[in-house]
Amino acid sequence: MSPALRASLPFLVLSAAIVVVMLLIAVRRDHRMIATVTAIGLLASLAAIIAAAPAAPVAVTPMFLVDGFTLFFLALVLVASVAVVLLSHAYLDGTHDGPYDEYYLLLLLATLGAGALLASVQFASFFLALETLSIALIGLIAYPRGRAGAIEAGIKYLLLAGVSSAFLLFGIALIYLDFGTMSFAALGRLWSAAHGPTDIYAYTGFAMLLTGIGFKLSLVPFHMWAPDIYEGAPAPVTGYVAVVSKIGVFALLLRYFVLMDGYHDPSLLRVIALVAILSMLIGNLLALLQDNVKRILAYSSIAHLGYVLVALLAGGVIGIEAASYYLAAYAVTTIGAFGVVAVLSQQGSLHDTDRLDAYRGLMWTRPWLASAFTAFLLSLAGIPPTMGFIAKVYVMTSGVGTLLIWPLAALVIGSVIGLYYYLRIIVVLFSPVRDAEPLPPKAGVSWAGGLTLAVLVVLLIGLGVYPTPVIALAHETTAGLMPHQKTIHTAEILPTR
Amino acid sequence: MNATFYLSAAIAVLSTVLVITRANGVHALLYLVVSLLAVALVFFTLGAPFAAALEVIVYAGAIMVLFVFVVMMMNLGDAAAVREARWMEPKIWVGPSILAILLTAQLAYMLDSNTMSQPHHAIVPARAVGIAMYGPYLLCVELASMLLLAALVGAYRLAHTEHGRL
Repeated sequence: MSPALRASLPFLVLSAAIVVVMLLIAVRRDHRMIATVTAIGLLASLAAIIAAAPAAPVAVTPMFLVDGFTLFFLALVLVASVAVVLLSHAYLDGTHDGPYDEYYLLLLLATLGAGALLASVQFASFFLALETLSIALIGLIAYPRGRAGAIEAGIKYLLLAGVSSAFLLFGIALIYLDFGTMSFAALGRLWSAAHGPTDIYAYTGFAMLLTGIGFKLSLVPFHMWAPDIYEGAPAPVTGYVAVVSKIGVFALLLRYFVLMDGYHDPSLLRVIALVAILSMLIGNLLALLQDNVKRILAYSSIAHLGYVLVALLAGGVIGIEAASYYLAAYAVTTIGAFGVVAVLSQQGSLHDTDRLDAYRGLMWTRPWLASAFTAFLLSLAGIPPTMGFIAKVYVMTSGVGTLLIWPLAALVIGSVIGLYYYLRIIVVLFSPVRDAEPLPPKAGVSWAGGLTLAVLVVLLIGLGVYPTPVIALAHETTAGLMPHQKTIHTAEILPTR
Repeated sequence: MNATFYLSAAIAVLSTVLVITRANGVHALLYLVVSLLAVALVFFTLGAPFAAALEVIVYAGAIMVLFVFVVMMMNLGDAAAVREARWMEPKIWVGPSILAILLTAQLAYMLDSNTMSQPHHAIVPARAVGIAMYGPYLLCVELASMLLLAALVGAYRLAHTEHGRL
């Protein structure tokens, strides 16, 4: 088996799973069977990563590069997708809006798009992968057609995906106009030879590219869509949008930034620092005003992407490691938090259980679920002994090492504000149930959903207390992205008062 | 050469604006056909005749005509016949026709003056496109098939009704 074929095994297995699921749907519609086959397909792809790892890094056609970085984030994406599949099964049954089988097909397609995004080293493959992810996500977001909220969110996502794609394409065209290449590495070489962008076309192109990516990552000031779509989409899909699509795009941004050697361009660094600071502050401030758990989590995810940008700005081996660990922590925590919302929303109503009032006294009526939710919220707030704490410390360390004073100040202030609204949810969970109000409806938790949440909590606390395995893995795989001879100039460029 | 490029680009932009501002779906589709033809001409002036041909055959030809047919076949009946008679008033088809005639005149001019052979434009033949598609872009083509599958499944789910009829 050639190295290229071996390295692309996880992607081939995933594509095979898509075809198998599609044919199975044609033969027999059976929700449980399709969900099981989907989960098995994702796990098989995960297993194929182990087989692919020795072959990496290897270029699979000039469009894709499978290296440790790709495989680390692909593993993260696949684990998150398996968790979403397990959480979705009971949730979809509760919507009473079948058939449910195409949901899994769309989920696999979105995962393939995200995976291809992680391996892209050229604009053409980047764009195709991003579109595969976005188009599949539109179908997933609007999947419960009976719900006005879901359809509205689907249309909003369709329009925003279209607009941000237009920005991306125009930016790519302008960059191509200036440099005559679409490969990141070749672009990086031309870029350093010319000492940064040479004229207005390249600057405009990069600004448009960053705008498109900012939309996908819902960074301030491109964040307006996130709360609406998070609120309207079905809870498991919201978790998927928040985690898988953002990991895919962020990993691409990281790879692009390193290959382009963006660390030597002061204007680019300043812009990203500003976006990070705004995302951390505004994301957290707007979350204070919300009474809807899904909206609070949406704003919190805006802020979290700002925190990871600090790690990107820090750069170097430790910056890449910090970003990798942070995204792993973010994936576990966010899927878990939306998983709790999904498990609570299995009553077939037209809305998810997302109003803050509905969570009052959950600790006394459903202690296990409330404890899990508390753990996820503490991790989002960055309190030990959870993964969120280690992740934040890691990002802080990388930022302090490169003297990113202003982004770090925003990180600290943002975390303090964040503490308030995370604790506010926890206070609601623990407050006594008022007699006048009906108890939150009590539905059984499906074994798959319960198991997923339990595993996520164990991971959250286990890897929070003993983070070495993930850090070592990140060090072995993703750190290879950063060339060793590069020294970091961030400190000289950003204001360091 | 430059003049033909700018004229077709201007027609493309103008007709696309008209697509967006038309209230009636069929009128918008007529302008959309013109817009796609103008884009095909832009490709042609840039030295990509194969892409131009595909644009005409696939988009303006197959997909748009299908759109027009589907829109016109919806809600058949007396009311529809009256409506269709109203659609065929001159002020409806004059606009797209003028733009289309302009495009045809440009095409005739370019074919006549043989501008394709100008040296500063490398012409990409169909052969080169095929070699690129089955060479470095092979996996992108495969990924595009997955993209289309995602779009198909998503559209099927959203359009599918309880009775199983589209």
